[in-house]
Amino acid sequence: MSAESPRIGVYVCNCGTNIAKVVDCDAVADFASQLPGVVVARSYKYMCSNPGQEMIVQDIQEQQLDRVVVASCSPRMHEPTFRRALQSASLNPYFLEMANIREQVSWVHDDGAIATDKAKALVRAAVNRVTRHEPLESMSVDMCPDTLIIGGGIAGMTAALEFADAGKRAYLVEKLDHLGGNVARVDLTAPYMDAAGDIVADRVRRVIESPNIEVFLNSEVRSLDGFVGNFTAMIHTSEGPAGNGHDVKVRVGNVVVCTGYKEFDATRVTHYGYGKLPNVITSFEFEHMLHEGRIEMKDGRPPQYVAIIHCVGSRSPEFHTYCSRVCCMTALKYAREVKSALPTSYVSDIYIDMHAFGKGMEDFYRRSSEIKTLFLMYKRGDHPVIRKADPGDDCDMLIEVHEQLSGETIEIPADLVILMVGMEAREDSEEVAHLVNISRDKDGWFIESHPKLDPVATTTEGIYIAGACAAPKDIPDTVAQARAAAGRILSKIARGKIEIEAVYAEVDEERCSGCRICNDLCPYVAIEYDPETKRSHVISALCKACGACVAACPSGAIKARHFTDAQIFAEIEGVLA
Amino acid sequence: MSFEPKIVGFLCNWCSYTGADLAGTSRIHYAPNVRIIRVMCSARIDPTFVLKALHDGADGVLICGCHPGDCHYTEGNYKTMRRFPLLKRMLADFGIEDERVRLEWVSASEGQRFADLVDDMTERIRALGPSRVQADLATDMAER
Repeated sequence: MSAESPRIGVYVCNCGTNIAKVVDCDAVADFASQLPGVVVARSYKYMCSNPGQEMIVQDIQEQQLDRVVVASCSPRMHEPTFRRALQSASLNPYFLEMANIREQVSWVHDDGAIATDKAKALVRAAVNRVTRHEPLESMSVDMCPDTLIIGGGIAGMTAALEFADAGKRAYLVEKLDHLGGNVARVDLTAPYMDAAGDIVADRVRRVIESPNIEVFLNSEVRSLDGFVGNFTAMIHTSEGPAGNGHDVKVRVGNVVVCTGYKEFDATRVTHYGYGKLPNVITSFEFEHMLHEGRIEMKDGRPPQYVAIIHCVGSRSPEFHTYCSRVCCMTALKYAREVKSALPTSYVSDIYIDMHAFGKGMEDFYRRSSEIKTLFLMYKRGDHPVIRKADPGDDCDMLIEVHEQLSGETIEIPADLVILMVGMEAREDSEEVAHLVNISRDKDGWFIESHPKLDPVATTTEGIYIAGACAAPKDIPDTVAQARAAAGRILSKIARGKIEIEAVYAEVDEERCSGCRICNDLCPYVAIEYDPETKRSHVISALCKACGACVAACPSGAIKARHFTDAQIFAEIEGVLA
Repeated sequence: MSFEPKIVGFLCNWCSYTGADLAGTSRIHYAPNVRIIRVMCSARIDPTFVLKALHDGADGVLICGCHPGDCHYTEGNYKTMRRFPLLKRMLADFGIEDERVRLEWVSASEGQRFADLVDDMTERIRALGPSRVQADLATDMAER
């Protein structure tokens, strides 16, 4: 049903030059001003900026606008921003529609005329659609103040302690029989050479002592149901008096996923002889040696020549194309640890590029080059070749490198080769993603809500990610993310209530024939049949608005609020007119 | 001037629309022939949406949802998968060529795949020529 005489404002964002360099924004605004119901149409540099939003608010108030179209970036980016603008002008936030003319137009097309035409079509569709928008009231439900944290590494423990310090309860679920994650496997940390053990031990102690943190070791989350503010998680733990495992049900408002990473499996790289040459080891095996306090070869002798090879599994066309971020500085740390334990040894560091970004790291690199490490640069795809040395040689292996800076082929001796294995997504990341209903990227890392502006939230409300489960990360960034996620959640808990999107399905009981087809279709069991009235109805708090029932109802009795047939038809007409 | 097909894309909010956004943020260029309409889940796509689009002049309709097993709503895409052949059977009865209406899975990380799909579909429909639906409708109206 269209409004009697809508008063629509259309705002075409230039996004600096992001949109305007391809789309003629003024022409789009001119076009929009001719559309039925449009009272005002403007083109402006940055609609999301304060002046941009104030422009909308002012127009709503002065020109009595009752509907707004913003043609800008993806609604996934700024729909909440503009909805708030409408709200601050006392207009129902659902009277907004966005036309995505950046991600879908200016960033993917380069012909200005064609792009402008497409932008006009999208704006026309949005104007058509918004004409049929209805005011919706969002629901307010209680926010459960408890939080579930999956993964007991540095991220999970840090987040748990934030909640505990704020006086809130956290359930910390760890698959293994101890806390600490991968950091607990590391000896010292770059660049300040602090002991990882100290960082971990202190946190483990505080977590265990905290009355607000309930730790589940040898446990995993088996199911997660509900919605933000009101999740129910089933934790399966194999600990307990009977020893044969049992399930614990907890109610939580939010979830932080801190499942971390796993190290790249070096046996997948055949050319370095890992698994065949006894003195070729991985970085984590070397960490173990450092932990034990002895750097030695398989036969127990201390190595005279130590070689470190970077980018094993990372920055490689066959394995992972991304950089694992922490290995370069860890390699320098090894060079220093070897030199300090075995001052007469020779260390060579064989790298592609030295990535020394981050606080203190460039200085660390400089200091490390002063301790007489031999740096050899190889080219991506032209990896060093390791072979067993001849019996007469004074070393165990020989490494041939096509050295980039000198342009020469260099052969160096090695008794111990350390492969800097990269980080990769855990094999259970798919399972975890399904459990909490979030997405993974092509490499298996969890996808954040926005890579720059919303890095710890996900597209599923109430589910947060922190640390290396989202991408390779060092300890400071992981800790920062864990605290950020906890901060985000605590601010929501502080409000006590949570607004649930007003988008859900509803049954017109007059038209419902009581066939119950929708009852079984709903994945959330949100549709209930009343045997007395012989009608079905939707339990709105359980409905997640997928609309599967709407498309299936033979009587057309179910309406998807904000995605009604009329609204989508109007949009179709708009894009094709 | 060569024929430029009009394609309406119905994309699920969680995977495919995000995938299309990723094509944008990654600046992966593709044919400008597609106009995207966002729905929460591919299972929301009522067959009438497709009919409406064809009726109103679309030369093709592209439906995209999460990959099987990856649906944000657990199983919505399975419903789409089962409904789709029924719709296709009906469209075939109407004489609408098979290639005009496609169901494809595009995840949130598959910006390149989305761009490739749009390019591929645009090429195929360009080769096929304009949809006859609107012309047939006009003839029908004239005969009445």
